[in-house]
Amino acid sequence: MTDSEALQLLEAMIRIPSPSGQEAELADFLVHRMADWGFRAFIDEVGNAVGEVGVGPRTVVLLGHMDTVPGEIPVRYEGNRLYGRGAVDAKGPLAAFIVTAARLARRGDLPCRLVVVGCVEEEAPSSRGAFFVRERYRPDFCIVGEPSGWDGLTIGYKGSLQAVIRIEGPIGHSAHGRATAAERACDAWVRIRSGAEAFNTARPRAFDRLLPALTGLRSGGDGLTEWAELDVHLRLPPDLSPASAEAWLQEQVGEGRVTVRGAVPAWVGSRTTPLHRAFARAIRRAGGMPRYLLKTGTSDLNVVAPAWQCPALAYGPGDAAFDHTPEEHIVIEEFWRSLRVLGEVLQEIGHGVRP
Amino acid sequence: MTAVCPECEGPIRLAEDLMEGEIIPCGDCGAELEVLSVTPLKLGLAPEVQEDWGE
Repeated sequence: MTDSEALQLLEAMIRIPSPSGQEAELADFLVHRMADWGFRAFIDEVGNAVGEVGVGPRTVVLLGHMDTVPGEIPVRYEGNRLYGRGAVDAKGPLAAFIVTAARLARRGDLPCRLVVVGCVEEEAPSSRGAFFVRERYRPDFCIVGEPSGWDGLTIGYKGSLQAVIRIEGPIGHSAHGRATAAERACDAWVRIRSGAEAFNTARPRAFDRLLPALTGLRSGGDGLTEWAELDVHLRLPPDLSPASAEAWLQEQVGEGRVTVRGAVPAWVGSRTTPLHRAFARAIRRAGGMPRYLLKTGTSDLNVVAPAWQCPALAYGPGDAAFDHTPEEHIVIEEFWRSLRVLGEVLQEIGHGVRP
Repeated sequence: MTAVCPECEGPIRLAEDLMEGEIIPCGDCGAELEVLSVTPLKLGLAPEVQEDWGE
């Protein structure tokens, strides 16, 4: 498969809208493409697109995701850039996985079993696709497809806790001077922010800080009672587990009821594994200097890596600064360079590596 | 092939196919070391991990 054909695959993937929960059309497209290229391809029980190639004593899982955040971006080329929703997060990395596996399979010397997975609902609190995959495989190596740049390796992600805080009470006349549910919810959010600031004292790195975000705000009533709800997203440092974060949140909001919608702990891996070494070599050979990254976001690596206990990292073309933005695009040359890096890495770890 | 950790001066055993840019751990002090050059062999503290926003 030529670089041009690889780009055509990525463009076709971007042209199929696939916000979380609506990945079926893209899954069907990918399974047919992978089957055409010799993969054993299928859609699993939760809707993940899966393609397997090669046989051997080792299994490598290439774990991407098909879903994107909402927001249509006109698909177009501008100079050396391809624009569209999912270009970097994370159809670019997933396309790179599929193309690389197809190339190795076509050469006929694939020394291991490669499992490419396009997960559903990575962008949703449920992470449904990854939780399903976590129980199905026990790979020797795992590469998660997220934008790190062609010369970057993501070795850790913050944890995450998404919750709804609900405050209720009997309704009263606003002229009576009592705090409404909406006002008490606003007060709760102020306490969350100031509590996070106190937690973050002497923590200069964003990775080590507790980062709260208010992502939704609603209120209403039925004439007798009134209510207000806050959607809160906490980004967690490695030393704050989801259970501790939930308790911390409850402490801040007092009377409010905290309902957790989804949570994963932070994860940081070693950068001295054979997998990291193979990437460092391949990036060096391609003329780059490996960069090692800790991300303030969260990915499916948080879900699978603690369970699999194998060398794992996240890698993929694209600048994560464009994640979820209206300017999301990928630099085409970067996409192609990542194909060469991935090809060399999979060859090396598939053939067996020194510990 | 052996080397000395620049942090704790403990001995480090190295693979024959070592390559510039690899990061290796010191078994004694746990420091992460980067192979700065293979010939002559030179080890240094590995570069700082960078922070990056997003996924």
